[in-house]
Amino acid sequence: MPGSIHDQEQEQDQSMMDTEQESTPPGNPILLEEKHIVVLPGSTETAASFQFAGEGHTMGNALRFAIMKNPSVDFCGYTIPHPSDAKMHLRIQTSDSTTALEALEKGMNDLMDLCDVVTEKFTDARDQFNAESGDRMLS
Amino acid sequence: MAPLVPSHEELQRRRIIGINAETVTNIPSTDFPGHWPGESHGWATDQFKKDFQVEFHSNDQFEASFSLIGLDAAVANAFRRILMAEIPTLAIEYVYVHNNTSVIQDEVLAQRLGLVPLKGSVEGINWMHWFRKPSEDDEGAEANTPSDFNTVVLRLEVECTVNPDAAADEQDPRKRYNNAHVYAKDIVFVPVGRQEQYFVDEGAIQSTNPDILIAKLRPGQKIEMELHCVKGIGADHAKFSPVATATYRLLPDIQIERPIIGEDAKKFANCFPKGVIGLESVTSEEAARRGSGYEGHAGEQKAVVKDPFKDTVSRECLRHEEFQGKVKLGRVRDHFIFNVESTGQFDSDVLFLESVKVLKLKCAQWKRGLTDLMA
Amino acid sequence: MSREAYQVPSMGAQQNTFGTETGGFGGAMAVDTPSVVYLCGECSARVPLKRGDQIRCKDCGHRVLYKERTKRMVQFEAR
Repeated sequence: MPGSIHDQEQEQDQSMMDTEQESTPPGNPILLEEKHIVVLPGSTETAASFQFAGEGHTMGNALRFAIMKNPSVDFCGYTIPHPSDAKMHLRIQTSDSTTALEALEKGMNDLMDLCDVVTEKFTDARDQFNAESGDRMLS
Repeated sequence: MAPLVPSHEELQRRRIIGINAETVTNIPSTDFPGHWPGESHGWATDQFKKDFQVEFHSNDQFEASFSLIGLDAAVANAFRRILMAEIPTLAIEYVYVHNNTSVIQDEVLAQRLGLVPLKGSVEGINWMHWFRKPSEDDEGAEANTPSDFNTVVLRLEVECTVNPDAAADEQDPRKRYNNAHVYAKDIVFVPVGRQEQYFVDEGAIQSTNPDILIAKLRPGQKIEMELHCVKGIGADHAKFSPVATATYRLLPDIQIERPIIGEDAKKFANCFPKGVIGLESVTSEEAARRGSGYEGHAGEQKAVVKDPFKDTVSRECLRHEEFQGKVKLGRVRDHFIFNVESTGQFDSDVLFLESVKVLKLKCAQWKRGLTDLMA
Repeated sequence: MSREAYQVPSMGAQQNTFGTETGGFGGAMAVDTPSVVYLCGECSARVPLKRGDQIRCKDCGHRVLYKERTKRMVQFEAR
């Protein structure tokens, strides 16, 4: 497959209308908006709540899973406080050996590693399946 | 102290979600550190690499089916949600009606056109940018002007006329008139600027289903409109979703705990879809083994589980008195049978890979946002 | 006083866009009034009408006429 859907490099812009206006960089509500995490009040080093803007169950639950896999994490949970607010809250409580922020970062790293493994295994299985079904069609 | 490693049987037991006539049991995942005393369960990429498996069942352009084994529901669900809502495609967004004298109203026609699935060269789709809309509540944000890299122009120009060659008593309006039916194939792509390089020949922007009926006309009626397509995601509007459906189910598990023999076996097999339960003869060895439940039944038919994959877990067998305590139904917690149906822009298997890519990209972006907090 | 004959007091008589008393049904009207095209409800023929013209299709005599659709471009969101 040629390239990713998401890489968007642009050098020259050719306007469709007869305006000279410079176009702004691409923007999308979910995929390319500037990511903004807020630490909610009342948080300490080892017990913090983070607010993710524009995020939902997709990342919330996956991240919760990845963070709960960390042995230094005592508690991790996520909530969407109000369904009409596009905000997700993630609560992390850890033991003294680490901080909530470190646990969050490790969770993201682990989830990215997981994605790599899934991609690799999926591609292998697909290629093998395609090769086998190709053979079956030939014979 | 090295962490305890549970036995294979124990791990297998933990994988099964119990399904009873009215209840489910053993629902939440327990493979987290601290749940089972002395066991590890911490994240280990190499262990995951060993345990995780993918099996393909079918792989066609419009439909792929595969199993992901060894994944947590949270992650499988993230992939499914991303497939439906966060992989971008092109769809008609703005409709400029120059003329429409058909009986279908402008706004209804516009809405119909928006839902027509489009396809074009993947390279071109990747090259295209988002089109930032002018918004009222955010005056500061600059809106995009329609340009070759953010807007694809399509035109729909049809006029219905009387067909002079038709027989006088012709009843079929499609023969009696020209253009009595307007189809998705009547939408023509008007390449602008660099779109001429990206969307050529087969890669031209067109409907995936050319026979979608858009409107019906009678002589003298005319539709003349310009359609602007932009890139968007399913979370914004379903017309941008690259999949018709993306679903998963857990692999069903059927355990026959005590022998089901003879007429009961036939009845048992009928409680399930075809091919799930098979009938085999009880061998003389089995019949000879004391305590097997087969004593004296040599040569009779017994029920065996052949292919739980085909089961729908209807729980029908749990309603019959004669099978009480003989069968245990369940589902395998970490065996996800995905079914992805593409609308045509991308191949179904490519779509799944894209969803994994999107999840990783989201992680990377949030991680970048984390650096502000670290400082 | 009929509605047609009413004038805004400040306006001069020469600005009266409604003209003088209507000269009977189908009677000859001021020559420079623009004609508007209507569509016949029966045979969908184009029927240009001036003020005071009989409301009737010139081809088939049908008495129901429709306005044409606006020539202006209309924008919609496909949502």
